[in-house]
Amino acid sequence: MTLSGYETIFFWIFALAAIFAGLLTVMARNAVHSALFLISSLVSVAALFVLARAEFIAGVQILVYVGGVMVLFLFVIMLVNVGAEERGRDEIFNKQKQVTASLIFCLLLAGGLLYAVNKGYRGLRRLHPATPEMVAEQESIRDRSLPTSATGSSRITPDTEAVGSSLYRYASLPFEIASVLLLVAIIGSVMLARTLRQEASADDLDPEALQLESVTDPELTKLEPQSE
Amino acid sequence: MLNFFSPAMLLLLQEEPTWLAQMQQSAAHPDLSKFLVIGALLFIIGVAGVLTRRNIIVIFMSIELILNAANLNFIAFSRYLYHTGSPNAVAGQIFTVFVIVVAAAEAAIGLGIVIALYRNKETIWVDEIDLLKW
Repeated sequence: MTLSGYETIFFWIFALAAIFAGLLTVMARNAVHSALFLISSLVSVAALFVLARAEFIAGVQILVYVGGVMVLFLFVIMLVNVGAEERGRDEIFNKQKQVTASLIFCLLLAGGLLYAVNKGYRGLRRLHPATPEMVAEQESIRDRSLPTSATGSSRITPDTEAVGSSLYRYASLPFEIASVLLLVAIIGSVMLARTLRQEASADDLDPEALQLESVTDPELTKLEPQSE
Repeated sequence: MLNFFSPAMLLLLQEEPTWLAQMQQSAAHPDLSKFLVIGALLFIIGVAGVLTRRNIIVIFMSIELILNAANLNFIAFSRYLYHTGSPNAVAGQIFTVFVIVVAAAEAAIGLGIVIALYRNKETIWVDEIDLLKW
């Protein structure tokens, strides 16, 4: 795969935006700023997906991550808002020693990964030698053979269709397992986020624990008969 | 645009193609290795966030960054395999869908745990959450 022409410019813009926003996610003092920078990083990566001709995944990324997961993050930040962090009274990073050790580890990891990518890609180039011009030519021939849309101004790619059909043909069992996993996640998060009061009113509390807690909060025992 | 500039630069330099021209040539045509490098950098930023931050919510966000870097690699390899004529090049995109599903489930459970922790410990600093330490 090789990008050329305008794709190159967009690739570098979105790649730098993704990395810059990722860095700011880690460095931002306010958790809400972190979440917003993470959103911009995710959108930039979705644009890179589009450049790699994975339009469906780019849409899923924006709908699920930006529209679902990040909204959940923002709600949780709102629920556990800690003002001390924004006002600059508390340290946002760990202790100096731990930060130094982890940065050294990250540098080693960066060196190793970049070395591995370089070395491995050289081997791949030997396996599939193709000049950028050849790939661009192949690409444009493929694009020109695609059917046009109803308005005639754009072409319809079969990429999304291929993803959908093989998702249901070859990956239908993992697909069903994923739906069960999501159900478990919904039930689990509801169970985890319940308050003691909600547990007591649903009669889902250990009687001894209820006895112990009702010393501080006498209304807990009154809540219990409501469920019956 | 870079396509247009690199011959112009060569004309200016009037020399044999050096490492600079080579770098320009490779920057004008981002290929699989560029995608992999971007993915690696995002991954390392995420690891650094997990290891250095104190706020548990930001640590979760860094984990999302790591998963996203892995997705970028999957998509890049999927595209690469498509060009080499592999019959199941779409597998990378399908795996990415499942990674996104697992990330969504993980975020829901993790944030539920954060809320439960905050209710009991009144803190979101990870160095103060040491219930399992003895």
